[in-house]
Amino acid sequence: MVRDSVVDSAVRERAETLLRSVPGRFGSVLHSERVAARLGMWLGISFTVAFATGLISHFMQHPPGGLAWPSRPVGLYRVTQGLHVIGGLATVPLLFAKLWTVYPKLWQWPPFRSLSHAMERALVLVLVGASLFQLVTGLLNISYVYLWPFSFPVAHYWTAYLLYGALIIHVVNEWAKIRGNLWTREQVDPPETVTARRRFLGTVAAASGLTVLFTVGETYAPLSRLALLAPRDPHIGPQGLPVNKSAEAAGVTTVIHDPGYRLTVTGAVRTPLSLAYDDLLRLPQHTVRLPIACVEGWSAEAEWSGIRLRDLAALAGIAPDAVLTVESLERGGGYRSSEVRPPHWNDPLTLLALRIGGAPLAPDHGFPVRLIAPNRPGVLQTKWVSKVVAA
Amino acid sequence: MGVEGGGGVNAPRLPRRLPRRLPRRVNAPRLLGYAIGGGLVLTGLTGLLVDARHSDPLGWALWFGGFVVAHDGVLVPLVLLVGVAAGRLRTPPWVRAGLIVAAVLSFVALPMVTGLGRRADNPSLLPLNYGRNLLVVLGLVALVTALGTIATRLRRRRG
Repeated sequence: MVRDSVVDSAVRERAETLLRSVPGRFGSVLHSERVAARLGMWLGISFTVAFATGLISHFMQHPPGGLAWPSRPVGLYRVTQGLHVIGGLATVPLLFAKLWTVYPKLWQWPPFRSLSHAMERALVLVLVGASLFQLVTGLLNISYVYLWPFSFPVAHYWTAYLLYGALIIHVVNEWAKIRGNLWTREQVDPPETVTARRRFLGTVAAASGLTVLFTVGETYAPLSRLALLAPRDPHIGPQGLPVNKSAEAAGVTTVIHDPGYRLTVTGAVRTPLSLAYDDLLRLPQHTVRLPIACVEGWSAEAEWSGIRLRDLAALAGIAPDAVLTVESLERGGGYRSSEVRPPHWNDPLTLLALRIGGAPLAPDHGFPVRLIAPNRPGVLQTKWVSKVVAA
Repeated sequence: MGVEGGGGVNAPRLPRRLPRRLPRRVNAPRLLGYAIGGGLVLTGLTGLLVDARHSDPLGWALWFGGFVVAHDGVLVPLVLLVGVAAGRLRTPPWVRAGLIVAAVLSFVALPMVTGLGRRADNPSLLPLNYGRNLLVVLGLVALVTALGTIATRLRRRRG
């Protein structure tokens, strides 16, 4: 018994020494605080941009109470969502580089030195897990791969709070190291270390930059020919414009061609309207150039013609501060209707469009009528419109 | 040399090497940071639980944990092995950089290359030949890597 326990303690001691030595076995000089601090700063910036633009997108789609987003600048959502998605892709190499750099810390021994150290590590786990979760689910979402049981927007939205909260706590905890490594100009490392560090950070920056270069053309048309790895081409689709939900997927292929089609304007109106397709064509037509800007980050501009929503509202005698709901022929689905608040429907650029580039809308673009408004997520540009309700 | 390093050589010179753990003074900015951060974390957790019908907390937790395990247990060890091999083979810096860039671009392109998200009713989704495009991109990376390596060798020979 006694001998056993002696052997035991010797083994344990050896194991302990071995475990303690693990972090020191990572030989590269790049597993350093200075590299981690630099990458951490880049990540902090990109996660801040992603969180802010993500919140903008969320609250544009689900505006709380009386919040009325402005309808201008026309391309604001296009820019914020482009930053969110393309910026998110650019973050992938930063995150992998950062986690590789600090990987030896995963194997620190003892794993927990105190309660506060355990808490700190638990929050680092939250930060790491949430970062991986956001970037990978985001990447799969823009690639239309849905392998999970949860709703992507819901999970991505709430996980963002986890990520950003854990990030703030991490920055507070590491503040002394951040300051020491980022705000000290003094260069005390041997030249080889400095060169290796510069090369590594340069490589990571290049990987980020190339990721942007090969994807940004899905929203920035001048670079669309370089968008070799983007899930969309802004010129490919019916009438040269991409589609998110097809008429077939929405189950409206037959009903949109019904000769009995009427666009009705009801609710808080002086004169309820019921207009056939030909009636709509006889109303004053306007042509605007507006982008469709999708939550998935792509955007494409087109020339839309149709009737101004505010002209239709005037015809029905709707009060200028009313909230309109535009409803689709689609039976179900999360986006079968959308709310148009006063700044948007009073904007002369907001149309119930009948044509793209002079030709009637393709079924996939919302024939017979679709909503198109400035500074608004694509999912709210309701297609196959059959009803406008004022409240 | 572990994470604390970057240069044990420089230990005596401040402020490069900070004490392992600075005494944590409880001050107002720190408390504010903890309060905001903690508040956001709690908001996220609460949201996931309250919206359980859409967030599927169990499925969420499995994916969350799965990402951590796949990253820390599979991806990084593989990268470390490649790193060790690159060190043993005395791979030139340009080649290492090229490998990193190629790996990242392949990772980003992978979901598109598999084409899992394609739908018959919507040809504007994933409209490109991503396998071919990825090969083109990797070819460009290889080309730049080769040119960089050659340029470095020539410069060294001259210098």
